[in-house]
Amino acid sequence: MGERTARVFSWIAAAATDGEGDGRISVAALCRAAHLRLGVDGASVTAMSGNGTHTPVAASGELAAELEELQVTLGEGPCLAAFRFAAPMLVPDLAEATARWPGFAGAARQRGVGAVFAFPLHAGTIQLGVFELHRAAAGPLPTEALGDALIFADLALQLLLDDASGTVRPLDRHPIDDTSRGRNAVHQATGMIAVQLGVDMAEALSRLRAHAFTGDTPLSEVAADVVARRLRFRPEVEPDETL
Amino acid sequence: MREQRVADTFVELADTLVAGFDAVEFLHTLTERCVELLDADTAGLLLADERGSLRLVAASTGQTQLLELFQLQEEEGPCLDCYHSGQVVTLPDVSQVAGRWPRFSAMATELGFAGVHAIPMQLRTQIIGTLNLFRMHPNGLDETDAKLGKALVDVATIGLLSERAVRHQEMVTEQLQTALNSRVTIEQAKGILAERHSVDPDQAFTAMRRHARSHNRRLGEVAGEIIAGTVNVTDAVADVRAGNSARP
Repeated sequence: MGERTARVFSWIAAAATDGEGDGRISVAALCRAAHLRLGVDGASVTAMSGNGTHTPVAASGELAAELEELQVTLGEGPCLAAFRFAAPMLVPDLAEATARWPGFAGAARQRGVGAVFAFPLHAGTIQLGVFELHRAAAGPLPTEALGDALIFADLALQLLLDDASGTVRPLDRHPIDDTSRGRNAVHQATGMIAVQLGVDMAEALSRLRAHAFTGDTPLSEVAADVVARRLRFRPEVEPDETL
Repeated sequence: MREQRVADTFVELADTLVAGFDAVEFLHTLTERCVELLDADTAGLLLADERGSLRLVAASTGQTQLLELFQLQEEEGPCLDCYHSGQVVTLPDVSQVAGRWPRFSAMATELGFAGVHAIPMQLRTQIIGTLNLFRMHPNGLDETDAKLGKALVDVATIGLLSERAVRHQEMVTEQLQTALNSRVTIEQAKGILAERHSVDPDQAFTAMRRHARSHNRRLGEVAGEIIAGTVNVTDAVADVRAGNSARP
């Protein structure tokens, strides 16, 4: 794990165990840690899909949750744009965004929000939702916080993937191996597994991660085995085959 | 006619305001032109991720080991120094720097590389990445090549970031993150083709790029369509497998 990722993960672990958390590494703990560490007033994670569904997963406070609801109701805003364009939407001053999002910018400013920063939860074509920060003060997100926010978004994506495969995360052990070397192999292996199992990319990555975690093997090593064709994933036998 | 090729290349690299501009394809073109026009055997381009690491976005050849050499530089190596200092770093002989970068030196030597020349990609005060030239023979680039390399990188950097008239840090971030994610999509699509057609990831990449070029499509889009299952690149894969290296 990179040093910087390790630091962000330790913040999430701290938020999970500080009395307000429930002791588990979760998206809720991630939002609380982001709120505490990034110099913002709130953070949220919304699960989204290409066919337009939005599911609030966690928010650090009521306002963060409300901002998400607003965007869904109004059908506009940085969160929806970040998902649609698969790019961060950094809005340092909502007062300058009234032409782009007339409904949302006004409504958010009425609630005292000056800046919004939305980051897609994506890895290539895998897109699971958006991580969003809000702050009362207008102004850019400082460079350090911006880099950390991108890491928070990476971790949120990984938590959603692992939730989907039912992977249990102990506090002291992070199932995420993001060492920079071998990262391309992880993405290539994901594509290979998707074909082997006949599943989509998100499920393929989820299965790859679950395999690494269960076997106590670094993700990059499992991925290298898949790419070198030393390891194949096989579809499970259908439990209730019908005629 | 090198002069004519140089002039054509500058025009090509400045021409980023076209419909269907694809950042990853653009950067691949830059690496290829550098190898073609300069005394270098291979070139790779690392973009700075705001998470704090350098990521390989394009390389003139697809040898997997070579990619690892570039990736190693997220941790140590002349390209990393170039990025941090904003200065050109030129190394006539990598075997002489084992004390400073032991792993980089060992891997480069093993792969048969002797010289490295790293050029920063800089826009005003911000360094967004580095272009790195590798040579099989010792000795640095001559002065003419070094200047030309710097000029090509400068033009490409301006072209890349002025794609939509970047004035704000916000837009630089959005574009860099989009380019990095596009690279992930390409890797995923390589995996799909590798598995489906029993080719290696490099061949998969060559086929994808060949298909994109011959159909005048963006590389990132073709990759997305391979994943969505809405495009058939069997012909391009067959060409690559047959060892047909001619460009379409």
